[in-house]
Amino acid sequence: MRETTVKPNRGYGRWTPFWFLAPAVLTLFVIGIYPTIFALVTSFRQYNIARPREGFPFVGFDNYINVLSDSTFWASLLLTARFYITVLPIQLVLGLIIALLLHKPGLGLLKSLARVVLVVPLATTYAVVGLIGRLIFNREFGVANQFLDVVGIGGIDWLGSQGGAFAAIVIMDVWQWTPFCALILLAGLSMVPGEIEEAARLETRSKLAMLRYVQLPFLLPSLTAILIMRSADVLKLFDMVFVMTRGGPGSATDLVSIYIQRVGFRIFDLGTASAQAILLLILTILISRLYIRVLYREVN
Amino acid sequence: MSFLQLDTIKKTYGDVSVIKGVSFAAAKGEFVVFVGPSGCGKSTLLRMIAGLEDVTEGHLYIDGKDVTYEEPAKRELSMVFQSYALYPHMSVFENMAFGLRMAKVPEAEIKTRVTEAARILHLEPLLDRKPRALSGGQRQRVAIGRSIVRHPKIFLFDEPLSNLDAELRTQMRVEIAKLHRDLGTTMVYVTHDQVEAMTLADRIVVLRAGLVEQIGTPTELYDRPANTFVAGFIGSPKMNFIKASVTGVGSGSLTLANPSFVGGTLSVETVSTGRVKAGDTVIVGLRPEHLELNAAQPLLSLTLDFAENLGGATQLYSRSEGDIVAIVVHGRPDVKPGDTLRVGIEGRHIYLFDANGLAL
Repeated sequence: MRETTVKPNRGYGRWTPFWFLAPAVLTLFVIGIYPTIFALVTSFRQYNIARPREGFPFVGFDNYINVLSDSTFWASLLLTARFYITVLPIQLVLGLIIALLLHKPGLGLLKSLARVVLVVPLATTYAVVGLIGRLIFNREFGVANQFLDVVGIGGIDWLGSQGGAFAAIVIMDVWQWTPFCALILLAGLSMVPGEIEEAARLETRSKLAMLRYVQLPFLLPSLTAILIMRSADVLKLFDMVFVMTRGGPGSATDLVSIYIQRVGFRIFDLGTASAQAILLLILTILISRLYIRVLYREVN
Repeated sequence: MSFLQLDTIKKTYGDVSVIKGVSFAAAKGEFVVFVGPSGCGKSTLLRMIAGLEDVTEGHLYIDGKDVTYEEPAKRELSMVFQSYALYPHMSVFENMAFGLRMAKVPEAEIKTRVTEAARILHLEPLLDRKPRALSGGQRQRVAIGRSIVRHPKIFLFDEPLSNLDAELRTQMRVEIAKLHRDLGTTMVYVTHDQVEAMTLADRIVVLRAGLVEQIGTPTELYDRPANTFVAGFIGSPKMNFIKASVTGVGSGSLTLANPSFVGGTLSVETVSTGRVKAGDTVIVGLRPEHLELNAAQPLLSLTLDFAENLGGATQLYSRSEGDIVAIVVHGRPDVKPGDTLRVGIEGRHIYLFDANGLAL
């Protein structure tokens, strides 16, 4: 009698999932994993490409010790922290107001339109935001000064003064990232079941009490996400600021990633720059863990 | 003046009219049930009383005060939602205390009231739990407790039992009835379940497509339905309807013809014969529980189609000229499909409606 085994389906074998995943894994490896490993290895070497004759010897934790005792690094890190705690409250408050307005029932078409408009700043490249910022805050023909002229305040040298340059990058960051906060918070607000809001409306007239006791608990996951993404983003914020101020004037906008870029690609001390970058990565992870531990609560 | 009064209340969404002018008044302490099929507007009406939906037209009075445009929180009502709508991040105690805290009631008073409500609803051991750690029935109790503690003027219930299983539903139904007896607060209750309506209500408001079909006590609606819709909606299993033609009009009686009637005709005594004349079609309504099998004087001759054994009773589905006639009998009659059933009914249990479905 002939064997009646079913012919294996040639379309799908044990390697099929591998081939589907391979392009993504390969891309991730090339642009993510390899550079990170390279940076990690480099951070333990003396690696100045301006002085290739000295070679790239292994120096242990020397780079890290240098970085941690470098007052400029600490200053730039502190400035970054200052930038973060300046922009974040503004973005959260404005974002929350926008989200609450969009969460109100009614105005169907306008609301959909507003949501589309909110995506525009997010879809804008950092460098372009920087260019727009340079135009807006130009001393001679910028919109900012024209606007202030109307109110009777004249001729602020935005990008030429220490305070002005810091304010300018804060304003541009708020412009770009407030919509992000608004959209995430709006998504959080829509997680609150309608009947729970209605039950609260029967018990209190206060919109503030509603926000504090009923809506806020549902917003905690969104807030955690915003804090993590914004802190990671501010720590690596480079293009917008670089295009607008190049870290100046003086060190007024010398955020940590701008300083690292200078060490890496002006002084060409890749070893030190890598150590700085790795420390930044560790800091980001630590901050994220902290947020999750302190803030994150699932309501249900 | 009535405690709760609705004066030609209307609700429209754009061009769609949902409530088309409902007027109704309830006395203090009354238990009113809005009943009707899905989409009849009963929940919308309740939400308008609560203030969760705007009133398009008409006026709403509570305790003599016009509250048509009053904010929900200022109407001093409380509502139990179908989904219970408990605050998931608060404990049972906090859920019940929230409204009182918002009203700035002293903390000692809050504790007294919550403890009292917890005692009434058997929630004492659960006060520290979060809603997710409670069963459906327990959540329902907390939702009711949250309503009780505020000492509202009116309790509103929006299909509160529909998420519970059958056994729990019966149990909670009894508890709500007891609660009404003990508290004596005015209650407005929305349901699509006519059993809940019949058992709980002092008065029932039957709604269909945004209009009131009939308002009355459960007994009134059962005994004297205004039309075939109410007759079919109140009572379970629903009333049987048989179309018949009028062959003779006497003084206080009608002679009706339908092949299912024994001998082809049926003489029915009725108070009002004024609206019908010979040749008209009328609808004869017969409640399944009023029909008798093997009656001494059978009025209907039907063919048995199917029998359902319910244990203590049997539901028989029989055919009469295309209409299905359901019969509920005690015990287990010795019949099988295809048998001819000779069915009787007392004259006073025969309902008559004109061709438009209005009671004669």
